[in-house]
Amino acid sequence: MKIKIVDKKEVPALIDRLIERYRVFAPVDAGKYARLMEVASGSEACLELQNPKLSSKEILFPQTEIILRIKKGEEGLETEEPSENDKDWVLFGVHPCDAKGLVLTDKFFASGDYKDKPYMDKRGKTSIVGLACNHPRATCFCASVGGSPFGKEGIDILLVDLGEEYLIEILTERGERMIEGVHGLRDASDDDMARAEKMSEEAEKALQTDLPIEGLSERLEGMFEDPLWDKVHLKCVGCGVCSYLCPTCWCFDIIDEETSTGVERIRLWDTCQFTQFTLQGSGFNPRPSGKERMRQRTMHKFCYFPKEYGVLACTGCGRCVRECPVNQDIRETIKEIMSV
Amino acid sequence: MVSISNPYKPNIAALRKITTENDVNDIKTFEVVFEDPDLARSFRYTPGQFGMISYFGAGECPIGIASSPTDEGFLEFTIKKVGTVTTALHNCSEGDRIGIRGPYGNGWPIEAMEGRNVVLVGGGFAFTTLRSLAKYILHDDNRGRFGDLTVIYGARNPGELIYKYDLEDWEQRDDINLIVTVDKGDSGWTGKEGYIPTILKEAAPSSKNAIAAICGPPIMIRFSIPVMTELGFSPSDILLSLEMRMKCGIGKCGRCNVGSKFVCLDGPVFTHEELQGLPKEY
Repeated sequence: MKIKIVDKKEVPALIDRLIERYRVFAPVDAGKYARLMEVASGSEACLELQNPKLSSKEILFPQTEIILRIKKGEEGLETEEPSENDKDWVLFGVHPCDAKGLVLTDKFFASGDYKDKPYMDKRGKTSIVGLACNHPRATCFCASVGGSPFGKEGIDILLVDLGEEYLIEILTERGERMIEGVHGLRDASDDDMARAEKMSEEAEKALQTDLPIEGLSERLEGMFEDPLWDKVHLKCVGCGVCSYLCPTCWCFDIIDEETSTGVERIRLWDTCQFTQFTLQGSGFNPRPSGKERMRQRTMHKFCYFPKEYGVLACTGCGRCVRECPVNQDIRETIKEIMSV
Repeated sequence: MVSISNPYKPNIAALRKITTENDVNDIKTFEVVFEDPDLARSFRYTPGQFGMISYFGAGECPIGIASSPTDEGFLEFTIKKVGTVTTALHNCSEGDRIGIRGPYGNGWPIEAMEGRNVVLVGGGFAFTTLRSLAKYILHDDNRGRFGDLTVIYGARNPGELIYKYDLEDWEQRDDINLIVTVDKGDSGWTGKEGYIPTILKEAAPSSKNAIAAICGPPIMIRFSIPVMTELGFSPSDILLSLEMRMKCGIGKCGRCNVGSKFVCLDGPVFTHEELQGLPKEY
């Protein structure tokens, strides 16, 4: 493992070197919040901002994407897949919670007999430059669900903000390849590493860790009919923002749009929190009210997914808590479940 | 990087024949042939599996395969006009082109049915994949591998009975016990009248070495299961096929999730015993 140091003022040049070889997506200042976007120059990247409003999901599993084009010609129909034969991608400045979100997404989209090609194609050529989280927010709870503000899961190179410079920890071969030919790096000293270690400890300390999570999945298995579900959903307005912002919500819809030459088949985010999600042609809806829908989302994250993949489908990024218009707090729901 | 195939890419197929099935004219059977002749020859499926059918411009929906694997070179889908895609399909003419992905789902457990007496109970338009299964069992190549075949099929009225041409054929055969009923007959109806659960009780198919498959509206299933239980069928010998809204058919879009199962992957066929272990969310 190699550990380097780069002065902050050299970072735009570092990103510029990456842009020569990769398409680089980095946090940019989108006004009231940060957003992960493709950058044409290293100077566009803002690593000092809070974690972006939307997770890295936005890049690899975009809110809308064309998955197929159907051309209606004289000789019939032709299907054509959008090709992505461009450069490899780098997601730069991804917080550990969001990198973990991608690891969980990989498990799901790569599982079973049918691999999700639109996601896998993008993911397969994407390297991750992580950014350790020095200042977890009050809504963050990554450490309670198996993560860490300095976590390395799914990360090829981890940056740690030391104030005037970044510590650069090269974690994988992909990381090595990315950093090849980048100038302005020097070897980290013992003092640099000690400073990074101290920051990691401080970040851990700043996090809420009292969330009872031990045995949550097993407990939920027997709770499908529990009266708790009658009340936890009551203030939810079903807007679905929790799912849209969640790095581990992947439900989607597929629709067709007619164009002048044929049809575009588009995949777009959807959520189990919407009434129509499960509404059948007959009018029957197996999840007819907020109760069933919130139960489904909670169960999927903390019971069904862990049963299948051995890990909770939550990274503790706190977006659902931060952005909920009625202050629904998944941590409170977990506490209620654990106190039944 | 290993290249993987795109599971969302449908195969193009032509509508070779369109048959109106009911008097109300909202159920049609579409006979389809893949444009790719190799695929038309090599496409394999099990009765009870489904396909994702595209009308390009309207979208996709899951439809059970109504033909039998013994029907070579074509597939049949019986489709009720309900929503956007099915309405677009109903507006199609013979020769028009559609898309098909699949086959998806587990299908009826053929191996578990072999050597046993088979009871098929169907109500209304949900008869489609049972018809596939009945045709499969009745084929000369397969008939000897199954015991007695009893088919109990009902519809609201005589005009709503689908596959009348098959029913007429089956009437003539002595290797199938066919019981057809309607909720309410009309002036020309000389057959049975009565709801499926009642007729089922009256017919009382033996549960000895038997396995049953039931498809129909939820209310029919709810009242039929106690009858089957009374007849001695155990929950593991009662098969049901679930219907759920689906967009992908391959366990990704999240709609047909029931507990930790996906109806599109783990189903649509479940035993009554398996369903008793799942949340009642279907």
